[in-house]
Amino acid sequence: MDLLQLLSFGEHGWGAALLKAAGMTVLLTLSALVVGALVGSAVAAAKLSRRRIFRYIGDVYSILFRGIPELLVIYLFYFGGATVMGAIHHWFGGEGFVDTPPFLVGALAVGLISASYQAEVYRGAYLAVAKGELEAALAIGMTWGMRIRRVLIPQVWRYALPGLGNVWQMTLKDSALISVIGLVELMRASQVAAGSSRQYFTFYIVGGACYLILTGLSGRLFNIAETRVQRTQRRNPNA
Amino acid sequence: MIDFAFLSDTMLKLLAALPTTLSLFFASLSLGLLLSLGVVAMRVSRWPFLSYPARFYIMLFRGTPLLIQMFLIYYGLGQFSAIRSSFMWEILRSPYGCAVVALAMCTAGYTAEIIRGGLLSVPPGQIEAGLAVGMSRWTLLYRVIGPVTLRQALPSYSTEAVLMVKSTAIASLVTVWDVTGIAQQIIQRTYRTMEVFLCAALIYLVLNFLIVRFMSWVEYQLSPHLRERPVQRVATPAAETPPSL
Amino acid sequence: MNQSIETALSVSNICKSFGSVQVLKGISLDAHRGDVISILGASGSGKSTFLRCINLLESPDEGRIVLDGEVIEMKHNANGRLLPSNTRQVEAMRSKLGMVFQSFNLWSHMTVLQNIIEGPLRVLKRSRAECIEEAEQLLHKVGLFDRRDYYPAHLSGGQQQRVAIARALAMNPQVMLFDEPTSALDPELVGEVLRVMRSLAEEGRTMLVVTHEMGFARHVSNRVVFMAQGVIDAQGTPDELFEGLPTERFRQFVASHNQRAND
Repeated sequence: MDLLQLLSFGEHGWGAALLKAAGMTVLLTLSALVVGALVGSAVAAAKLSRRRIFRYIGDVYSILFRGIPELLVIYLFYFGGATVMGAIHHWFGGEGFVDTPPFLVGALAVGLISASYQAEVYRGAYLAVAKGELEAALAIGMTWGMRIRRVLIPQVWRYALPGLGNVWQMTLKDSALISVIGLVELMRASQVAAGSSRQYFTFYIVGGACYLILTGLSGRLFNIAETRVQRTQRRNPNA
Repeated sequence: MIDFAFLSDTMLKLLAALPTTLSLFFASLSLGLLLSLGVVAMRVSRWPFLSYPARFYIMLFRGTPLLIQMFLIYYGLGQFSAIRSSFMWEILRSPYGCAVVALAMCTAGYTAEIIRGGLLSVPPGQIEAGLAVGMSRWTLLYRVIGPVTLRQALPSYSTEAVLMVKSTAIASLVTVWDVTGIAQQIIQRTYRTMEVFLCAALIYLVLNFLIVRFMSWVEYQLSPHLRERPVQRVATPAAETPPSL
Repeated sequence: MNQSIETALSVSNICKSFGSVQVLKGISLDAHRGDVISILGASGSGKSTFLRCINLLESPDEGRIVLDGEVIEMKHNANGRLLPSNTRQVEAMRSKLGMVFQSFNLWSHMTVLQNIIEGPLRVLKRSRAECIEEAEQLLHKVGLFDRRDYYPAHLSGGQQQRVAIARALAMNPQVMLFDEPTSALDPELVGEVLRVMRSLAEEGRTMLVVTHEMGFARHVSNRVVFMAQGVIDAQGTPDELFEGLPTERFRQFVASHNQRAND
């Protein structure tokens, strides 16, 4: 079979399957990024806290999730999740083995890893926002909420975007590891196609090219977003 | 509550796989560093026919997951009889060899960018000062550009080394029995996920801690000019904050 | 004595453009042994570019450089740009021209002493002991012997510039080039650097000094060159220029400087 046939969208081709899987990869990465944003900003807040215990918790979180291999974390959630779910299942009188939903496990595991990197990005961005600007907001009598909304968040965005671009790329690549627990995303689909057609080289190249397109496109998008956000910072807005 | 017998048994089994993880790490890190020197030399070249292939290499290995790179090398290359009959087959036929090649090629892409960042940070004035006393290109590289680049690139390289330790775990997916591979095996046999995870995590954390400490020690040694006191050599290293993992 | 031996450095017809802007339009200058030549001019007059063309940190589009009777070989490349054709010769030439930069450019990872011995040790390949001995004498001379083990980051701007002068001197150069050596300094630190430069002039060193210091130009140098818009507008002894005010441009230049001094 030639390449075009292998990749066709027809009955014997893998085109449709790969396209769907690429969609799954994007969906998984987006979900993980959201999980990471929520947990990551909490970790960043903990690290910036005046209370030592919170700072300590934040640091431990970073050390754990940035120091343990991603694969182990995924195993923990997958197999550990199965054990916990099984226990709950039996509690309610169920029987037999319960499978953990791989998408949920994947989004959670990759998301929590992503959170440890996002925390660093948010923390750096917060520190980069000049302290004086927040004091100026205080001086004109803004409330705490207003200061966060009107001064901090618009600024943090600007400093966080480049870092977030990197985290996104990292998370996108980490999402490939979720293939080991059977979620049919791009990596898994390439594996299946490669195995069934015995065209390993072709399909891993094609899979790799899909990842390149995804990382390339999203990199472009982040660049565009960055220039948009940076616009307020130029000396001459018309330049 | 805590089953110490199981924990210690698991720990022993995992530690038996530590040499595999360590050798994966050191082999691929040093090979990758060597490779990255070539890549970065091409990348900063003025000639497009050198710099563009290097750009492409970097984009390729930084833009795709390591897992797919490793699978491509392990499953994909064996498809070709030309490769099976070449000398490379000695390396590529074994999972370990494939894992090292994939890890090294991947880290070379990242390391090349780290080194390039260091190169760009060398103040142009210091290079001009070298030229002005009549230094040759090699002397300039060896005496001025090299040391400044090394110092600048070290913190990022330390992060890269930690990422590499974590990446060695992926080798278990092409049947290399490293710490993660053994851990996964035990988990599947016993379903005592938490205990096994804790043991394996501990091993990786200690390893990473040692790497970070070592790197910051090297960094400290290399940056007397950034320390507080100029003259006296401080006997005990000052309590510096280690870069977080 | 023969005139050609007396001439330490001779540059002729140096032209240089950046894009469509012609910065140097054919500058020629001879420096005799012991000359202290101040090069004055408004910013943008091309005086720094001229100095950087002399030791080929900037490659001129046209021109000829003769150091100590030796012509620096240069060739036009395929794009018509003039490039030195003998790298060894350029390196040797640079080692005979001591350069002091506006922004000091000390090597940040080396101590004061290491900065000074680096050139003699690695380029001239002299023995370490000899280099250190001479470096220490130079450090006494610029008044920084007690700072020999400091790193540049721990020194003031004036101290850094004095180290940079010692570094240039350590090569025992035929000619010293100074590129606005006091422009990056706080006003109170200018004096210490000028004092060192004056003592070098009194020793009979050949010096080319791009500067804004009118006092130095008038009282220390024996020749003054005034550049404007890429050409030499006026030159002569300090008296000829500052008393005679030969051109309209120079008159304006001096007037604006006096104005600033009186502010």
